[in-house]
Formats: sequence, structure tokens, C-alpha cells
Amino acid sequence: MRSNERGQALVESILLGIVLLVPVIWMLMLLADVHRAALASTAAVREAGFDASRSDDDAAAREAVHNAVRLALTNHGFDAGDARVSWSAPAGLTRGATVEVHVEYPVSVIRLPFLGDVGGPAVWVRSTHVARVDPFRSEP
Amino acid sequence: MALALGIAQLALTLYGRNVVIASAHEGVRAATELGRDIDDAEIIARRTTRSAAGSLVNDMEVIVGTRPEGEGLLVTVRITGRLESLGPVPVPVPIDVTATSRLPEEIE
Repeated sequence: MRSNERGQALVESILLGIVLLVPVIWMLMLLADVHRAALASTAAVREAGFDASRSDDDAAAREAVHNAVRLALTNHGFDAGDARVSWSAPAGLTRGATVEVHVEYPVSVIRLPFLGDVGGPAVWVRSTHVARVDPFRSEP
Repeated sequence: MALALGIAQLALTLYGRNVVIASAHEGVRAATELGRDIDDAEIIARRTTRSAAGSLVNDMEVIVGTRPEGEGLLVTVRITGRLESLGPVPVPVPIDVTATSRLPEEIE
């Protein structure tokens, strides 16, 4: 090996390692955020369904769903304003009726150091929960 | 080899952090549910963390606090601890997570 080529393999290895390492770490961070969003959204729909099924009327159920989703997402470190929330009680809130809550949350793919989320494509995490109104509860 | 172990360690660290965040939320939610009290928050937060993360989280402390807010109570659950190092970097990662919820005033 010529003297001016000594260390070339090491330098190339380091450069290649950095080039391969950055996307791997980026992917890990994204997967961690998707995992956290999945935990947040499943907690949100479960608790929203639970609270809505105990509500007396549609207005109370709507507020209960909103509060439960906001609380779950905020506690997991997300902005609740980015979530899409929908709920339905086809048979009303009568005894034994079902209440379905659906939450979608976007996890941004592109994040920059010090700038955070800069928009662009997102991975949507979706959760749905069906709760049942207590079949033996007293009528309001 | 060391690089692969380091990546695995990073993945486990991120997983442990997510579990602790979720456990804090589960605990504070339990404190505000009908039929439960504040003491249940610590029990459920600890149980959730242990069942999902096992020995990944050490020196765990769960601190449950309440303070009046409006017509109810603001409940906070704070979990602190260390995420153990299972890879080539022998440095445990400290973790400090807080979750809040609101307990409505009880109707007498």
C-alpha cells in the first residue's frame, strides 16, 4: 500500500458508517413516535368511549369525548389539536347501546434538529373503540 | 457488532420511555375514575410499568400530587427512574415523566 493511501479504508468506513447510521437512527426515532402515538390513541379512544357511555345526553357525551382525547394525547406529549376525532351512538345513549369512538393522529415523518416538525408527509395512527352503555343504569 | 447492539439499546431506551409515559397517564386516569381514589394512581402506574417494561426501568419513584383547581382537583402523577443500559454504552438514561388529569368535585 502506498504511503498516501494509508488510513483510506478507515476513513471510508467511517464515512459509510455515518451515511448508513443516520437513516437508521431516524427510522428508530420515527418508530418510537409511532409507538407512542399508538399508545396515546388507544388510551384516548378507550377512555373517551368509557366516558361517553356514561353520559346522559349527546352534548355531555361530545364534551366527554373531547376531554378524554385531549387529556390522553396531551399526557403522551402530543398536540390534541392535530387529531381527528369522531364518535357515534347510532341507538342513542340508551341502556345497552353502543358508542363508537374513532381517533386519528398524524406522526410527522420529517423532523429537523432544533426545528422539530416541519410538515410534510405523516404516518397516520388510527384507533377505534366500541363501548357499551350500562344495560342496568338508571334513566336520566 | 457494537453498532447493532447500540441500535438495539437505543430502541429499548425509546420503548422504555414510551412505556413510562403511558403508565403515568394510566395512573392519573385511574385516580379520576369513579370508585377509585388517589392511592390507586401509584399502584396502577407501578403495575403498568413493571408489566410492560420489567426490569428495564429501575429506581422508579411514583409521586402523586393534588391541588385545588376551580371546582375540582388537579391530579398529577410523576414517574422518575433510570432506563437501564443493555447495550455497549454503559450509561443509564434518567427519565422524568408527568401526567395530569382533573378530578371533578364530588357531589354530596
